[in-house]
Amino acid sequence: MKLCRCLIVLFAAVVGSVISKAAPSPATVDALWALDPLPDVQLGSGNAVDSVLEPELRARGIEAAPPADRLTFLRRVSFDLIGLPPTIEEQEAFVSDTSADAYEKVIDRLLSSEQHGVRYARRWLDVLRYADVDDRMPAASSIHLWRDWMIRALNRNLPYDAFVRTQISGYESSKREEVSATGFRRRLSPRPDSQFALGFLARGASTRSNDDHALAISAAETVSSAFLGMTLHCAKCHDHMYDPILQKDYYSMKALFDPLVVREVPLATAEQIIEYGDALRVANAKRDALEQEFTALAKPYFERLFDERVAMLPAEIQAVIRKPEALRTAEEVKIADDYFPIVRIDSGPIGDAMPPEIRRRYEDLRRQRDAIRLPESLPSFLTVEEDSQRLQQVSYVLGTGEPDRPDKGQPVEPGFLFQPAGTLFREGRRETFVDWLTAPDNALFARVAVNRVWQWHFGKGLHATANDFGSLTGTPKLRAVLDRLAADFVTNGFDMKWLHKTIVMSQAYQRVSIPKPEQLSADPNNDFYGRFPLQRLEAEAIHDSIVMLAGRLDLELYGPSFGSSRELPATVRRAAYMKRGFHPQRQELPAFLDTFDAQDGRDSCPRREETVTAPQALWLMNNTMVNQAAEAFGKRLNQLGQDDLSQRIRVGYRLALGREPGENEMALALDYMKPHPDDSAKLAWMLFNLDEFIYIR
Amino acid sequence: MTSRRRFFFQASGGFLGSALGGLWAQDREAMFPRGVHLAEPKVRSVIYLFMCGGVSQIDTFDPKDRRWEGKLIDAIGFGDNQASMVRPVIPCHRTFTRYGQSGIPVSDWFPHIGSVIDDIAVVRSMFCIESNHIPAAIESATGHRGRLLDNPSLGGWVNYALGSANHNLPTFVNIGRATSPVQLTGGYLGAEYAATPFRSGSTPIANLNSAAAIRPADQERRLDTLAKLNQGFRDQYETESALTGRLRAYELAARMQLSAPEAVDFSGEPDHVKSLYGIGEKDTDDFGKQLLLARRLAERGVRFIQICHGGGGNGQWDSHGDMQGHAPLCRQTDKPIAGLIRDLKQRGMLDSTLVVWTSDFGRTPWSQNTTGRDHNPKGFTSWLAGGGIKGGTVHGSTDDVGYRAVEHPHYIADLQATILHQLGLDAERMVVDINGRPVRLVKRFADPIAAILK
Repeated sequence: MKLCRCLIVLFAAVVGSVISKAAPSPATVDALWALDPLPDVQLGSGNAVDSVLEPELRARGIEAAPPADRLTFLRRVSFDLIGLPPTIEEQEAFVSDTSADAYEKVIDRLLSSEQHGVRYARRWLDVLRYADVDDRMPAASSIHLWRDWMIRALNRNLPYDAFVRTQISGYESSKREEVSATGFRRRLSPRPDSQFALGFLARGASTRSNDDHALAISAAETVSSAFLGMTLHCAKCHDHMYDPILQKDYYSMKALFDPLVVREVPLATAEQIIEYGDALRVANAKRDALEQEFTALAKPYFERLFDERVAMLPAEIQAVIRKPEALRTAEEVKIADDYFPIVRIDSGPIGDAMPPEIRRRYEDLRRQRDAIRLPESLPSFLTVEEDSQRLQQVSYVLGTGEPDRPDKGQPVEPGFLFQPAGTLFREGRRETFVDWLTAPDNALFARVAVNRVWQWHFGKGLHATANDFGSLTGTPKLRAVLDRLAADFVTNGFDMKWLHKTIVMSQAYQRVSIPKPEQLSADPNNDFYGRFPLQRLEAEAIHDSIVMLAGRLDLELYGPSFGSSRELPATVRRAAYMKRGFHPQRQELPAFLDTFDAQDGRDSCPRREETVTAPQALWLMNNTMVNQAAEAFGKRLNQLGQDDLSQRIRVGYRLALGREPGENEMALALDYMKPHPDDSAKLAWMLFNLDEFIYIR
Repeated sequence: MTSRRRFFFQASGGFLGSALGGLWAQDREAMFPRGVHLAEPKVRSVIYLFMCGGVSQIDTFDPKDRRWEGKLIDAIGFGDNQASMVRPVIPCHRTFTRYGQSGIPVSDWFPHIGSVIDDIAVVRSMFCIESNHIPAAIESATGHRGRLLDNPSLGGWVNYALGSANHNLPTFVNIGRATSPVQLTGGYLGAEYAATPFRSGSTPIANLNSAAAIRPADQERRLDTLAKLNQGFRDQYETESALTGRLRAYELAARMQLSAPEAVDFSGEPDHVKSLYGIGEKDTDDFGKQLLLARRLAERGVRFIQICHGGGGNGQWDSHGDMQGHAPLCRQTDKPIAGLIRDLKQRGMLDSTLVVWTSDFGRTPWSQNTTGRDHNPKGFTSWLAGGGIKGGTVHGSTDDVGYRAVEHPHYIADLQATILHQLGLDAERMVVDINGRPVRLVKRFADPIAAILK
């Protein structure tokens, strides 16, 4: 299984070894172009993308490809905005719509679909390291409520600044206090559903021993990568080698989150809680009665074994253990605890020491006790809050990044990268930070967001490394496009649907993707978007397409993630709801997702690597889920195409590839189907295995 | 900043690296610059035997003087509780016999391995840091502690560094259930460098065949049609290397459908070979088949064959309650392992194959008041046999009671460096340069264990 490799590798380099290369000296803040103020823009001067991009293309003599035909565009934009292929009805409606705003209507329909939130939440969750499972992750059981909050937030078009603010501070609005008529300042309550956004911070907590820094470390690293485009990770162990980030800065940023602890919020009603308490009392009473009975039965045998064990210990230890607990000193308590595993006696050895009939009774009572089920625990959500004690504690640099090695010589104040002089943390650490972060004049914040969204639409960013705008990453060739879009984005109040719409309405987005030889020589890497880049679909979209073509896709929203085994769960829900994560003993990421490059959420992933492997081919050729879907899709084709084989082929191409088959393709398919004209599953298999099926053109 | 991949295309001088390198690490140049490769590899394949749960060195390859039994020694608490305490040394109930010309003592649990001891170099002074199963299994697989980093496993690096010697089979294979999936991971190198789980039976690799049988002629026809239907799209995007990669991936998948079942088909193996591995005997049948499969894969050019014995949970070798828990596990593995070494030797393959036997960690001289032993990362035994290994050697030692490695202590990274060295790789130089930052598999200052090398 892989993580986002660039990032994790940077991280690995630091932790893994001392750097042997001569370190270049870090750049100064002035050298970071991404901090420059955004240009002033006049709204309404044409499409924000095209008005800057077209002159760039002309100046370089790069020929822009013509707009793609309507069916190609519709499949492209449907996958892009909702992660699903267009139906035949949607195709027909678009092709026959002669109105001037036909494109806009389609785009508005997709952006207002509830599935848009599902699609983009999954993309954001890669960046924000969502996982349903992680080694000792206390938030695991309720973490999906964060995912569901995000789907709703994107669907109701929560502005980007508020989207980020809520996940960091729990407040959607930057107004958190008010002054009463009589001059008393008081804290306002956040919107109750905003607490689910804090799953973002709770996700990083760990119950591992000595690891109460995990939450703050995860928060500092993820926030800086995701929202500031700065790889803070390197500074965990030493000053950053080429970006203006000192080790102290890392721990200052971490100190923003150091006071946070996780807190369980019950989500049950008063009646449910009372009912649960009653049921628990009843069950425990039954268990206690049985436990007393078998403990009494075991007492003589237990005592004999215990005495034998204690007798084998050194005399001074024996004395400690035989002392009543109340009389032990603190040191003696520690000694007794250390030796507890030695003198502990499990039921097995006790049973061995009993005569058979007593043993049977003993084991029977134990079984009865174990058979009494406790009531199922009530739903709750793990959020975060500041702990008043931890708020008083000084934060330190951690020597080698190890939680148990605070460097007491290096205390740090809460702070953040690029912090303006004179920043007061009057309203709170996170609050002050998030106010600076989301301010309209924070150009970096807007640039990082716009670049990320651009990357999701085009498959690559204007700036190549979405999580890293540091000094080694260069200035993007189309900085002017990024700056203009970012400025417009801020002016439009961080309106995310505006941003999506502006990009997909642009000429640049609508171009043909097939490269012409002149384009390849003038702009081989397509740096200037003279053509639309061919993109492979993500694992989730491939899965959802297959299930949708089988006619089975369940578009229900929200709920706990499903599936926990390597095999693909027999499910018809969207893959966005598939369980994912890391466990040191079990493979948690379903094999299908893993094989097609989905991430396990251990670290922020700005962009998934795309591999091409034989196991991917084997999945699509032979997997049972895929073959069953081919059977179901085949039945649908028989229904839709009735007795006409060429009609079935036509419908199959329309559904799977969003286009009509070409003449040659029709001939090949007819020839292939001739020996078994009614076995449309074979046609379905063919469509699932076509290259074009898993690509957006 | 160039992406990791781009770095490698540049380094290896071709832009097709991504797609073609990713087919199961197939059909490509090795991914490392030349300097990493030593002049002459000693072995072509590694068969890496990992005993899940922690084998007691004291009861197998590292006999200790009985006079310490019952005496109190300074000990530490169990598992994560590292509290110091005083515990008695428990008795060892094994008898040891000196075998072969070398006269190396091996316990009565491993008589067959004893009989091939002259081909084996026993390292009695291994140590690691992690004292619990999962972290230790991860440490020994990746050379690093900790779960946060997605470090690749040793087999993944070999896969990455050497690529395949067989165009129809994966390069890194795992047989048996591992303690942790991390033991199979390609880590940040990518899924294509991960182990392919192999099992016996008609579907040795996941999704190798569809549930409904398809006749070869039909398969050929549908793949042929698929290729023709793909042609138009491929022509339009002929500069997309990923599409070329997909074409090759389907070809490889089709070839594997033939070659993988052939690798697990033992019908051509004569009975005397099967009986060497204990195939057909109750205790040894399962593991014997796995080792015979390992030999067949090594024969077919698979580079790194990892076999996990007793995996699941904490591992079956985790004998806290009673050391007798080791007895059936030794019976299951003793004859097949000796059979593997003999079989490799009689085929002239032992010189080109490295067999490594190791475990999570060793076990303590004391117990938690039982007749079993606890986890001991501070001293344990691993052994190696085969290409370039000085057979009949004992190297290093633990203290009087078998607790700490004292003479020539070797961190597990040294074992990894040894394996890489025999494959013709210089561990010290196996550094991947990512965006100007060096990342290394093996910890710095790890050296091959020179004393056991020819």
